[in-house]
Amino acid sequence: MAGVIVKGRFPRRRTLQTVLANVLRYLFVGAARNWIRNIGSMAPALGSMTVLLLMSGMVGLIGFALHNLEQVEAGQASLLHVYMRDDAVPADVITLMNRLEHDSRVASVTYVSKGDAFARAQRIPGLPQLAGASDSNPFPASLDVQVKNINDIAAVNTLVKYNVVTDPVNPTSYDSGAYQRIQAVLFGAAVAGAAFLALLAFVAITVTINSVRAAIHARRDEVTIMQLVGAPRWMVRGPFVVEGAITGGLAGVVAGLVTFGLTASGIAAGPGSFSQFAPGVTVTIAALAAAIVFATGLGLGSGSSLVSLRRHLES
Amino acid sequence: MLPIVEFKGVTRAYGSRVALDDVHLALAPGELTFLVGPSGAGKTTLLKLINREIRPSTGEVWVDGIPAHSLKASRVAELRRRVGVVFQDYKLLPRLTAMENVAFALKVGDLRISDHEASDRALDALEAVGLGDRGDSFPHQLSGGQQQRVAIARAMVLQPPVLIADEPTGNLDLETAWQITDLLEDIAAFGIAVLVATHNVEIVTRLQRRVLTLVQGRLVRDQPAGAIGRMAWLASS
Repeated sequence: MAGVIVKGRFPRRRTLQTVLANVLRYLFVGAARNWIRNIGSMAPALGSMTVLLLMSGMVGLIGFALHNLEQVEAGQASLLHVYMRDDAVPADVITLMNRLEHDSRVASVTYVSKGDAFARAQRIPGLPQLAGASDSNPFPASLDVQVKNINDIAAVNTLVKYNVVTDPVNPTSYDSGAYQRIQAVLFGAAVAGAAFLALLAFVAITVTINSVRAAIHARRDEVTIMQLVGAPRWMVRGPFVVEGAITGGLAGVVAGLVTFGLTASGIAAGPGSFSQFAPGVTVTIAALAAAIVFATGLGLGSGSSLVSLRRHLES
Repeated sequence: MLPIVEFKGVTRAYGSRVALDDVHLALAPGELTFLVGPSGAGKTTLLKLINREIRPSTGEVWVDGIPAHSLKASRVAELRRRVGVVFQDYKLLPRLTAMENVAFALKVGDLRISDHEASDRALDALEAVGLGDRGDSFPHQLSGGQQQRVAIARAMVLQPPVLIADEPTGNLDLETAWQITDLLEDIAAFGIAVLVATHNVEIVTRLQRRVLTLVQGRLVRDQPAGAIGRMAWLASS
């Protein structure tokens, strides 16, 4: 009789499959089922975490925009506009340009004619009407002097403001405290944002810890029996961590989608004005912020659960 | 024969109150031992030390070669898989059937066991305790004695070398209590060390098994099997 070929899985592989299936079921399927069963006690955590993450996403994007704004402001603050009088002699203007170009503190000097100044004004929101209101061109010619170090701008201003070609009434764009004031406002906004987020984070984490504690108490018997029959610690604790991650992940998905949706809507509604108010915030940046919000939610949810387990579940 | 459970000078205190005081004892495989004493004598504390629910304040507790007194938290599960536990209030999960309750212990104790195998082995265990036909019943559909049988099946399904039972007949009538005791005798006959904390004088005196008597945390008497204990009344006090 010919030998019979028995088709069968390699036992070790089958054992591995069984272990994986059991791990998957106890950690994820069981956690999801328990999460749905305890949705009433998890709802406050879900709500507070969603608000926290949404605020984090929005504050993060605003912070990013403010950071970009500061960079723009820093660049603009180190750019000195030296306004020319209308009757300035070209030769004197060239002399001043040469003198500035040879100054080691100056990065570049650009001559802006009255026509160029008018064209530039028309690109600034709100100014085209003003520019068009007069029959004559009200904008003076200027030298745009880019200073290498913002701390040297006062000295360069002193150098040029009494020059023969400089407008005696409105000689330069120099404003001694402008940049410092912007920095102070941005710093204040950052501190206020961080404090607000810290408070929200405290509330969300506390609520999540309490929700997980409630879940532990609701399943006290099951946990006790698992411990008594020799379930490993990860099997007892893991589902609670996954439940926390589900809460955080769901909150992250909602908050991320809202963050992305609001930003994308803003960009779609008025790309020009949006980039003025929130420089650097693009659809890609919004998507990245949404992904970070989601990941933060996962981490926050599972982290809060771990803290709760350490406090409320003895081994 | 080497002891499967051994206490060496074990003391356990809760704050200033001493629950167990310098206890020395050894349980051999296949031995059915009763643990008696008045309420608050330290019976439950002694059982909890075997299962490493608590640690001794001083002394050593050895279970199947494992030092329970110094066991790391990460290794407690390994010890507990070698100790079956039965409680007075059964501690069955109400949303699981009898078969699922038994299979649950099996599956959380060993991840390599498939659903099919767990069901088969759970049904075998239920048949062994005389409940082969009640596998699909939920705990609330079973009598107290039947629930205790399910609890014993759950404790034994991993085939541990030690079974501890804390007042297993406390909620049962005498006839059912005898049935449960018979079951515990059968389990011991298969080489498993069975330690039963009880207040049931009739069972303790009639069975003539080894009796450990605790009073105020001290092991005052270790009466070997076959001897009639004059202090058996302590079990009922």
